[in-house]
Amino acid sequence: MKTTPTYGIMAEFDSASDLVAAARKTHEAGYRKIDAYSPFPVEELAEAIGFHKNGVPLVTLIGALIGGISGYLMQYWMAAISYPINVGGRPFHSWPAFIVVTFEMTILFGGIAAVFGMLALNGLPMPYHPVFNVPRFAMATKDRFFLIVFSSDPKYNPTDTRRFLEGLKPRSISEVPS
Amino acid sequence: MSAARTTNLDLSAPPVIQLIGRRSLYIGVVASVIAIALGFTNPQVFFRGYLVSYMDWLGICLGSMVILMVRHLTGGGWGMVIRRILGAAMRTVPLMAAFFIPIAVLGVPRLYPWAMPLESVQNPTVREHLEHNRFVMSGYLHWSGFIWRAIIYFAIWNLLSYLLTRWSKEQDTPPVRDNSLRFKAVSGPGIILYAFTISFAAIDWIMSLDPSWISTIYGLLFLAGELISALCFAVVIERILFRYKPMSELLRPDFVHDHGKFMLTFVMVWAYFSFSQWLIIWSGNLPEEITWYIRRLHGGWGGVGLFLVVFQFFVPFFLLLSRPLKRDITRLVWLAVWLICVRYIDLFWLIEPNFSTSFHVTWADLLIPFAMGGLWLAYFCRNLSSMPLLPAYDVFAKQVLEPKHE
Amino acid sequence: MADRVDDVEVANRRAPVIEPGYTFGTVTDKISAIVLKRPTSTGWFIGFGIAFMLTMMMLFAIGYLVVKGTGIWGINIPIGWGFAIVNFVWWIGIGHAGTLISAILLLLRQSWRNSINRFAEAMTLFAVAAAGIFPLIHTGRPWLAYWLFPYPNTMNYWPQFRSPLLWDVFAVSTYFTISLLFWFVGLIPDLATLRDRSENRWAQMIYGMLAMGWRGSARHWHRYETMYLLLAGLATPLVLSVHTVVSFDFAIAIVPGWHTTIFPPYFVAGAIYSGFAMVLMLAIPIRKIYGLEDFITDRHLQNSAKVMLATGWIVAYGYGMEAFMGWYSGNRYDSFLLWNRLHGPYQFFYYLLLICNIGSPQLLWIRKLRTNSFGLFMVSFVILVGMWLERFVIVVMSLHRDFLNSSWGMYYPTRWDWMTYIGTIGMFLAAMFLFVRILPMISIFEMRTLLPEAEVKAE
Repeated sequence: MKTTPTYGIMAEFDSASDLVAAARKTHEAGYRKIDAYSPFPVEELAEAIGFHKNGVPLVTLIGALIGGISGYLMQYWMAAISYPINVGGRPFHSWPAFIVVTFEMTILFGGIAAVFGMLALNGLPMPYHPVFNVPRFAMATKDRFFLIVFSSDPKYNPTDTRRFLEGLKPRSISEVPS
Repeated sequence: MSAARTTNLDLSAPPVIQLIGRRSLYIGVVASVIAIALGFTNPQVFFRGYLVSYMDWLGICLGSMVILMVRHLTGGGWGMVIRRILGAAMRTVPLMAAFFIPIAVLGVPRLYPWAMPLESVQNPTVREHLEHNRFVMSGYLHWSGFIWRAIIYFAIWNLLSYLLTRWSKEQDTPPVRDNSLRFKAVSGPGIILYAFTISFAAIDWIMSLDPSWISTIYGLLFLAGELISALCFAVVIERILFRYKPMSELLRPDFVHDHGKFMLTFVMVWAYFSFSQWLIIWSGNLPEEITWYIRRLHGGWGGVGLFLVVFQFFVPFFLLLSRPLKRDITRLVWLAVWLICVRYIDLFWLIEPNFSTSFHVTWADLLIPFAMGGLWLAYFCRNLSSMPLLPAYDVFAKQVLEPKHE
Repeated sequence: MADRVDDVEVANRRAPVIEPGYTFGTVTDKISAIVLKRPTSTGWFIGFGIAFMLTMMMLFAIGYLVVKGTGIWGINIPIGWGFAIVNFVWWIGIGHAGTLISAILLLLRQSWRNSINRFAEAMTLFAVAAAGIFPLIHTGRPWLAYWLFPYPNTMNYWPQFRSPLLWDVFAVSTYFTISLLFWFVGLIPDLATLRDRSENRWAQMIYGMLAMGWRGSARHWHRYETMYLLLAGLATPLVLSVHTVVSFDFAIAIVPGWHTTIFPPYFVAGAIYSGFAMVLMLAIPIRKIYGLEDFITDRHLQNSAKVMLATGWIVAYGYGMEAFMGWYSGNRYDSFLLWNRLHGPYQFFYYLLLICNIGSPQLLWIRKLRTNSFGLFMVSFVILVGMWLERFVIVVMSLHRDFLNSSWGMYYPTRWDWMTYIGTIGMFLAAMFLFVRILPMISIFEMRTLLPEAEVKAE
């Protein structure tokens, strides 16, 4: 029987500073398929693992525009074309009155797009993930910091990568089974 | 320590400020002489232009005072770096009080219908309103009350300016002094006093040009406008100083970013107040209210109104959503200049339709802003040069002096 | 990111946002233990029991209303908007503090918000839910409430978009949706913490499914932070718009006392005012009972008190402007309204309102009182009463004597009005009891960012 394929090698660190430094070194060493895990957002970390592009603002903008434009057109069509009715002598196309709902629709669609866009881009929900197989990883939501090199990285080599990570002086190293 | 670094850094205003002050003074004096000469030929027109211009420069002066007080309450490096610019603008209050004298003494019977004999009031709605509600004229809208109230407003503004300046001056020399609790003690009540005084000043000086019309949000509209113009003015001065030491070393993109955010906020607040007033009055459609908008949307004034909607709200709003723009003082400054100009048009649109049903611009509208502004700027530059650009011995000065300490 | 406790704070002689000596581990343990380890106390059961019984009373009152119709309430011509609208506005106002604290204070980088935003957001949700009940049952036929939404129908009509009441449908439902999303995404990282901390299999599964597999990846955090800021940027104008739209419900009409342009900012300030009062009324007992004084410090009480003082003055400004313009305008209906408030049959409520809303917050100028839990609790209570009276004065006093003397009348709430009102308070509290028991009431991951060790040191 072949050995179970590994998903990657994971190193554990004690502080955010150590993790950022380690992630930087790993990225500089040429590893590209890496990820870092922290119990709270660390601004410098995304940059350290070489992650810059972020689609969330664009998704939000598109959502907000769709909401606003459709909100206004909906009101215009309903109040001026489909069901024109004279209310207190106001024009069918009462634009000052339509601004409120347009605004609310902009916010509603923008907000929904932001949240679900973030979840979709992050690939969540994903209740199972190989990293959860490492028992120590439960500390990642408390006070430990983890760095992983995925086995799919072209530079990945079980022994070399392990030795490289050991050189970063982590608290522990574990193999992540796939 | 901050004091050690301070000694290495010359905090006095660069000579360019004195140069600007001198040139402004020339422009101001020349424009004033022409304006006064023309004013003798047509005092009516003169005072209309004078009032618009007065409200504009007063807005920068008082807006600076309120932003300064907000800074004292909330702290933050963004305010420390422009604190002395705001302070110098605030200390022009005595000049603004002097500029008010011509309005109070000569302008009142020429501008305000309640101070004219009722037969000579042009606008029939206003005349009718005053005929039916003489109690307003005996109880509030009369000449001596107008002057007394103005004295109270200026007394309050001068007092606030005096206290804030005095305690700030103490922080220019060692030892390190912490006046923050004193500042807070005066700023909290100061902002409340400002809100009430500017509102009643706006009612007295502008809204009562048409006594038949009321809007309870009117004071807040002025308040928001003053915040826009004062912040933009501070950004412009900041940009000029940024070419020279010490500002070129003190000003960080983070601070500029905060100024940009405040610009965005103030523009949105102004739009929010204006739209609320418009929507409520448009929906109510009551004859005593909607007439105010009808005057301002017909006879060529509608174009000005539309211009304001687009250029005082939509364009600045969308531009200010951009993060790079907000962080770059060299680009943000152009928007600030623009907003200062548009603010003048806004006041023009609020005030001038009271006098004329069709759109027209007089020489006074074009000349007096420069006359008054030249003199005002000269005084401002004098104020700015008279104190260091940063209160170096304030406990919070290191927010600016020591980078990496936000 | 959030600025940390530094010497600027010390120089300013302020209480810290979080007491010193905590680490990532102890913060996590302390907050999650309330949910996972701490046994449910008898006090909790008693409190929840009472709140639950009040909820049942509300359901009974609503059930009877559905059977009999709105005639069981005290509303009639001329006062068609009685308790239902008063309570609606009161609750939705309270519901403003949560999003304000979460969104606006986040944008202003006020890191002290991190320990109170979570339960303030929860409070918002429950308050908006309580608010939503009233217009729904006030329609008389709540089972047809979906008619308010624009959907293609066989009756061939569309809603009337010139009506502020319809704007309200959009504003309140948007507000509820966005507040729910904001609260829930804020919870995701903490749900993951609970998933990894809990020892009970069921709890692990439930928290695990809710956490959606959050693992704290740097990529995820990056997008998450962007999303959170954008959502805050969207929620900030939203929260202001909601009470603005509520104020339009009144201001668009031409009833004296309603049709006035100051209403939007004045309503928003009043909403924040009552919202912070409710936050304090909840935070003060909660931090005592659960021993959270290290996280919800005197600084939080101080700052909330200052916000109340500031918004209280905006409300006072609104009263002042309204009264002045009532006189200055020369409009006889407006000046009569002013007279009626001061001398009419409801004068007692108007004076009480002035004492509660303008008088009582002035006590907050006293520095000692701003750090005194009991004193603040009492002032907050008085403010909540005052804000309820404000809505009563606006709704009832404007309607009961408007243009025509022949259609003047008085308003007398019935026991059903009271049962529904008190019942919603019970429902709100029951939901709060459940919330503190099953979810972390303080945002754990945002508290971690406040600790000194969260700072990344340059090499």
